[in-house]
Amino acid sequence: MPKIAIDPITRIEGHLRIEAQVEGGKIKDAWSAGTMWRGIELIVRNRDPREVWAFLSRI
Amino acid sequence: MRAVENALGITIPDNARIIRNLISGIQYVQDHVIHFYHLHALDWVDVVSALKADPNKTAALAQSLSDWPNATPSYFKTVQGKVKTLVESGQLGIFANGYWGHPAYKLPPEANLMAVAHYLEALDWQRDVIRMHALLGAKNPHPQTFLVGGMSVPVDPNSQNALNAGSLALLQSLSKKALEFVQKVYIPDLLAVASFYKEWASIGGGVGNYLSYGEFPNDNLSNTKNCWLPAGFIRNKNLSKVEPVDHMKVTEDAAHAWYKYSDGDDKAKHPWVGETVPNYTGPKPPYEFLDTNKKYSWVKGIRYDGLSTEVGPLSRMLIAYASGHKRVKEVIDGVLKKLGVGPEALFSTLGRTAARGVETLVTAEMLSVWVGELAAKMKSGDLRIHNGEKWDPSTWPREAKGYGFHEAPRGSLCHWVVIQDGKVANYQCVVPGGWNSSPRDAKGQRGPYEEALVNTPLADPNRPLEVLRTIHSFDPCMACAIHVVDPERKELFKVRAL
Repeated sequence: MPKIAIDPITRIEGHLRIEAQVEGGKIKDAWSAGTMWRGIELIVRNRDPREVWAFLSRI
Repeated sequence: MRAVENALGITIPDNARIIRNLISGIQYVQDHVIHFYHLHALDWVDVVSALKADPNKTAALAQSLSDWPNATPSYFKTVQGKVKTLVESGQLGIFANGYWGHPAYKLPPEANLMAVAHYLEALDWQRDVIRMHALLGAKNPHPQTFLVGGMSVPVDPNSQNALNAGSLALLQSLSKKALEFVQKVYIPDLLAVASFYKEWASIGGGVGNYLSYGEFPNDNLSNTKNCWLPAGFIRNKNLSKVEPVDHMKVTEDAAHAWYKYSDGDDKAKHPWVGETVPNYTGPKPPYEFLDTNKKYSWVKGIRYDGLSTEVGPLSRMLIAYASGHKRVKEVIDGVLKKLGVGPEALFSTLGRTAARGVETLVTAEMLSVWVGELAAKMKSGDLRIHNGEKWDPSTWPREAKGYGFHEAPRGSLCHWVVIQDGKVANYQCVVPGGWNSSPRDAKGQRGPYEEALVNTPLADPNRPLEVLRTIHSFDPCMACAIHVVDPERKELFKVRAL
């Protein structure tokens, strides 16, 4: 019963990893893991609300 | 943008709303077409098999589906020659690292060749039509012309330094070009490919809860309920009831996510009181597997009303369909009829991929309507593009809270902001990828990707093409490295997948 790990699955917001348990030719269970820290919420703290869109729309 | 406008009680002018709709609209159309051809199609289309196609039969197939002009035997022969050169060189370039020859590929060689030809055509097409986004947003991606209170792009039919009559004519011709490709190439290809993979209408369904905040507002209020694509929540695949959306029902927990909450990681917190304190407890890389009984992701357990919820084109189209949206209903019913399946087929990997096509078509149809609205406004002499009444921080309350909805191409996005003394005191973003890729929550409920993968058949576990089909159907833009390991955790092989 192999376990599969797909890593990384890159995407605009970061990276993704999938782990899956395979049994009898079918996936029995799966796990999805974001493998990158984003933290953009912390970057905009204490900034002028009129300029934060320019940071946040980069997500 | 909308979160701050909502916090400060700002209403934007018509011109700004229409331009925002157009920027989002062309982004849907370009993104979805790129996703279908360049990120997803090769899960269904075997490029190498296209070499065996008869160009005459391919032309006959293409002509039977559409009156798109690039459908002659000599055209397909040329495309086939390009593919042949690539394959024979041993350097597949953009087609490298596919699972070519995998038993789960079902298309005849002619359909494969036609799809490869359109893959190449779509590259040229998208470069051209996205000029709409650049005209209105100054560039693509990441437009520069947004401004709290409206837009920073002036509109004036008679000025050389503004969006003028010439710009409107160009926008109108690009809208036409965008729609024509969707009507004559994307939709016929989607239906042709789908007809060979109908078993995927019962695979990859997932959690069955669907959310849309609504998008393309018809009025200028922040977070309006009056949108061209309606807001709603569908619970447990029940299309007979669309519940209204309440942003207070959105929560995030950190039971399986690498964060520390001050009052317990299992607590489901609304984003206004959300916390972003990283707490990585996973293995030190390189590692083979995560301990999925503990924390295993940087994505929080995002839930709506406590439920794992899918977002994206399928959610939007289901909510529009179930809300009686006339055009969406007409197109979806047409697609279902053509494929000979019922609405339950929509809750699947194939349904997700088909819904993206339906959304592209109905959105592409609206582009020229919105350009027309903008032209009528400008003609009437209304050139307002920005509401500056609350630009000066001295007009703001000491504390303000807001939230801003947006339906991005990939799904529901909301930002929550708390403003204190003119500065951002707290900010939380809950993004489409977060909803769909979220891990288990404190109750152990699987996230949408996780649930959608359960029971997916694998013809060859060493080449898990079927996993890619379902994950790609959610549109997470990926190029992934795949490792398959046996129970003794010995690595059997390593491949890169498209």
